Amino acid sequence: MAHQKKNRNVGIIGIGQTKHSSHREDVNQPELIHEAVSLALKDANLTMKDIDCVVHGNMELFEMVHSPDLWHVLGTGAYGKDSIRITTGGTVGATLSCASDNLVASGMYDIVMAIGFEKLQEGHTTGGITNMACPLWFRKIQAGALTGSSAYDVEREFGLERADRASLMYRIIMDKHASLNPNAHRAFGLDFSQIDDLIRTSPKLVGELKLIEMCSQSDGACCVIYACEKKAKELSKIPVWIRDHITVHKEENFTIFGYDRKYPVLKTHKFAAEQLFKRNGINDPLNYFDVFEMYDPATWWAIDWIRDFFNLQGDEHLRLIEEKEIMIGGKMPINPSGGVIGSNPIGATALVRVAEAALQVRGNAGPHQIPTPVNHALASGFGGTMWTVMTMLEKELNW
Amino acid sequence: MAEYWGVKVEDIFNTMKDRFRPEGAKDVDAVFGYDIAGEGKWKLTVKNNAMTLEKADQLSGCIATMSADGETFVGVNTGKVDATNAFMSGKFKVEGDMGAFGKTGKLFRKFVLAKKEMTTKEYLADMFATIVPRFKAREAEGLEASFGFDLGGPDGGKWTVFIKDKVCTVTETIEGKPTVTLEFNDARDYVDFILGKIDAQSILAAGKASAKGDINMMASKWPILFEKYKDPMAGAVQEQELLVLKKTISLNEKFSTGPIMGKFLKGLKEKKIFANRCPECGRLQLPPREVCAECRVRAGEFVEVGPKGEVRYMDVVYYAMPDPLTGVARETPYGSIFIRLDGCKGNETLPHFIRKDQIEKIQRGWNEKKGTRVRPVWEEKRIGDIWDIKYFEIDE
Amino acid sequence: MGKRLAVCAVAQIKNHPDYHDWRFQNMLLECFEPIVEETKVTFDMDKGIRTIITCSDDMFDARTISDNGITDVVGAHFRGEEKMAQESINGLGYAMACILSGHDDVILFMGHCKESQGESRRMISNLAYDPFYCRPLGMDYHNVDALQARAYMEKSKVTDEHLAKVVVRSRANGKKNPYGRENKIVSEKDVLNSPMYSDPLREMHIYPVTDWAYGMLLCSEKRAKEFTKKPVWITGYGSCMDRYFLGDRDIASNFSLKNAAKRAYAMAGIKDPRKDVQVFELSDQAAYQLPMWAEGVGIAEEGRGGQWIDDGGMERFNVNLSGGQLNGNPLLLGGAARALECYYQLSGQAGKRQVKGAKRAVAQAATGGAGQHQAVIVMEA
Repeated sequence: MAHQKKNRNVGIIGIGQTKHSSHREDVNQPELIHEAVSLALKDANLTMKDIDCVVHGNMELFEMVHSPDLWHVLGTGAYGKDSIRITTGGTVGATLSCASDNLVASGMYDIVMAIGFEKLQEGHTTGGITNMACPLWFRKIQAGALTGSSAYDVEREFGLERADRASLMYRIIMDKHASLNPNAHRAFGLDFSQIDDLIRTSPKLVGELKLIEMCSQSDGACCVIYACEKKAKELSKIPVWIRDHITVHKEENFTIFGYDRKYPVLKTHKFAAEQLFKRNGINDPLNYFDVFEMYDPATWWAIDWIRDFFNLQGDEHLRLIEEKEIMIGGKMPINPSGGVIGSNPIGATALVRVAEAALQVRGNAGPHQIPTPVNHALASGFGGTMWTVMTMLEKELNW
Repeated sequence: MAEYWGVKVEDIFNTMKDRFRPEGAKDVDAVFGYDIAGEGKWKLTVKNNAMTLEKADQLSGCIATMSADGETFVGVNTGKVDATNAFMSGKFKVEGDMGAFGKTGKLFRKFVLAKKEMTTKEYLADMFATIVPRFKAREAEGLEASFGFDLGGPDGGKWTVFIKDKVCTVTETIEGKPTVTLEFNDARDYVDFILGKIDAQSILAAGKASAKGDINMMASKWPILFEKYKDPMAGAVQEQELLVLKKTISLNEKFSTGPIMGKFLKGLKEKKIFANRCPECGRLQLPPREVCAECRVRAGEFVEVGPKGEVRYMDVVYYAMPDPLTGVARETPYGSIFIRLDGCKGNETLPHFIRKDQIEKIQRGWNEKKGTRVRPVWEEKRIGDIWDIKYFEIDE
Repeated sequence: MGKRLAVCAVAQIKNHPDYHDWRFQNMLLECFEPIVEETKVTFDMDKGIRTIITCSDDMFDARTISDNGITDVVGAHFRGEEKMAQESINGLGYAMACILSGHDDVILFMGHCKESQGESRRMISNLAYDPFYCRPLGMDYHNVDALQARAYMEKSKVTDEHLAKVVVRSRANGKKNPYGRENKIVSEKDVLNSPMYSDPLREMHIYPVTDWAYGMLLCSEKRAKEFTKKPVWITGYGSCMDRYFLGDRDIASNFSLKNAAKRAYAMAGIKDPRKDVQVFELSDQAAYQLPMWAEGVGIAEEGRGGQWIDDGGMERFNVNLSGGQLNGNPLLLGGAARALECYYQLSGQAGKRQVKGAKRAVAQAATGGAGQHQAVIVMEA
């Protein structure tokens, strides 16, 4: 296997995120970023002097600012430092984490700060997403980022009623998690007793995809500080180690479904998980990981991807949901933070997944902390034309 | 009628006429219903840039009806309750044409609770009414004195405060010969003085007031004898007005099609639909692409496909995103279909739309089972654009 | 793993004022195929390219997630792809990190941009400024550069005549570059008579609107010989960000470039660039930037840019033999163009522009008006 041994280990030593919300009119973009940066520096007990390089990312067409890292230097503190700007669409937050890991592991920088943010209210989110499509043809006929195809898939396979209930079950579990997370954007205080009512009354957006099953649009920023092993051990009592990460993209076309068993459509999630686990010698991811912060833009995709990520068969993934094993305290807690359905500041979202997973490993995430020890965590990012980024985090340097 | 945050449901409806924005009603011609639990039903008719509102017994004939309880309704209208949260958790529901109801957002200016302000008369009344409650009896040991207040101006008045045997009383005249008398030309200055907005020095120096009698005794003793007056209006912070800079940023673009996409678009002009084939794996790509991404080779020959085919998947879209530049949203519901044109196999599908009135009749394909067969309906004048196909319709 | 990155192969199309017959996919394909053919590199998950780094801009492309449109063409289907949303030169620094970290050992680096697609590149750079103050004032990279030009020219005694020399030379050199944009050959008089664009910058002082695409195959030291007999090494990288508001900066000071260069030189073990480096490629988006960046990288004395030109500094240090960015490269791809020229020079493929015995080269590029963010790479034969 050509995958090389990591040059040196990298640990997360600082985490900061703003409370995600739809109304941050009180701050401008650099100020929003600064909030997260200050929190991360405080968490790591560092000052900007200690940072060697700043990694910045978001989707510029959402706020219509070109090369925003230039203006944002007012809030990022990158003045006088090396800085890099990487973007990859919805996955950008996860890419920032991968990039920071690469930068520190390479030996070129000892301490790197990753900053992801989005201020969706300042732009036109739908316009931004519609603009992703090819201007020559698809932009004119597409429906934004919404499709009911994943709902259709799950329903055909498991029956309308079971599928709908599983979807709402997942949604309510995420809402319960979000209610425990002080930084989450939306928590409605839903209860399982509302499943039937919500199935009936939540308005349909596209096909069987209902409003309640879609993620929010949020404003927020997240900042994570990465350090080389030596410094991480010096500076932090509980560094969270980045074990590995993988990025898998897909071609431009949008045929994401496969209604012909002779022509299955391979998904990047499955592929990414397979490759990542294979090269790390993990045969039973469901038992190996203690928590999974998954990028879930909608309940239906989440349901489908649980099966892909963990290589489950039949209806195992539905049962994990139905038996509430994905809840905090369950066998495979998913999104104790409330997930993307709870908060979605697009440029930061995937980084928040890594940050939340790291918080769980540390053991001090707050009210939404998993009660049992978290030694192995997994975080995923999603975006673009069905791209996936996955990151593995570890409590001990023992792999 | 119940009040929420000091506002009644009625207040929201009664102020609709005043808050109405004719410019927001430009292309609205509909009747909307409001069903507020426990409070009543209202019908709002918007037509010709004008509105009429009436309380109603039933809400038939409404294009959309919103139902909520009083608290949610008032909350959403005053900004105390986040509308999205309320909607998502089912606290308010909309039945009927949601898109149409969405337009009501532009019809009215926001409901703002009138800010209460106390008048000079109200302040004076309150200040003197609270003298006795603010009196600290134990500080008045052995003290016998009276203080006269002669406050001029249209809102003024006269008061005397008596202290004797550790008891305090107030009369609304100048009685007897007060130990100290304060005379103000304008009662408003007295109020401002007590509220701390102006100081004694400035008042006396400007000749706005004068004192007769043992003023030093009053100055030193009064703050000990009485608790400081608390302004009932303090803490009601004025909301900051947010300035909003709205700008549509648009840049003209000249997109090149390149030879591959160019051939596809040109083909549409001639009522032909072209895909191209990968020389290695043989798959067809529709629209044609420069490479086959799986094989990483230059894609090869063009193949004409269709024009008829079967529907493999359809998304019925209920909620249309408005076009960012024009604000116009497609009429819903519409059917977004993926068609496997004749000559294509597997998932080699072309996305487009189905004729609006045929959405219900469409059967999606599944494995070997074929979906409804459809054919394109072409525009009369074609320009080499995906919209040269108006839509697809059932091929019967 | 060693401390250097190998450049195994490069490919580019000609810099052109308007590729209206091609879209990005076509442009990139022309760069993709030669690299794959020359090096026989595969996309095998074990032995081939697993990660592709791209460089493009959402606003120039008028496409959100501009890399999503070209994923197919750069071979990123079921492979990793990350987009450098800054000057392309930083992509090389990032690629270096990816490889030195051990995460990847072969990386394909491709970029594209069509400045001709949008009606105004100035409207785009205007959007780099904050919406409340600088943007409504009308600041864009060109007029901000003009402010810097004024300050710099006074400090370093650079005159209108010096700038004319720079422009004439850039076009003459560009002509010797088979990939250089074809520009009208002009005389110094022509330049001096060129209409004022943004005082003190004349129209001819600013790089012309250009479309371009390129590709580079990068890999770890261990595997270089699998792909090429003559790898060129990237041995140093440094970047630095300056403050945002012009009033907060000393815009004639070269603060960010000096720091970036210092870090790059330290990494590469360069003690004195004047002695240790034979070729310099500086991204001059406007003519005054050539002497200014020359000061910043340490080959012209501070404050003596004008004199440096008079003393033949541009020839002595083999500066911008490619024509520089001034001859025409798109905004964010100047750095890659500089790196490609350094590659040709160090591998003996620079044809008429070849510097004999070139052992080391320095490439530089900036993002933002008045060079707010600068990056430098050092390359070695």
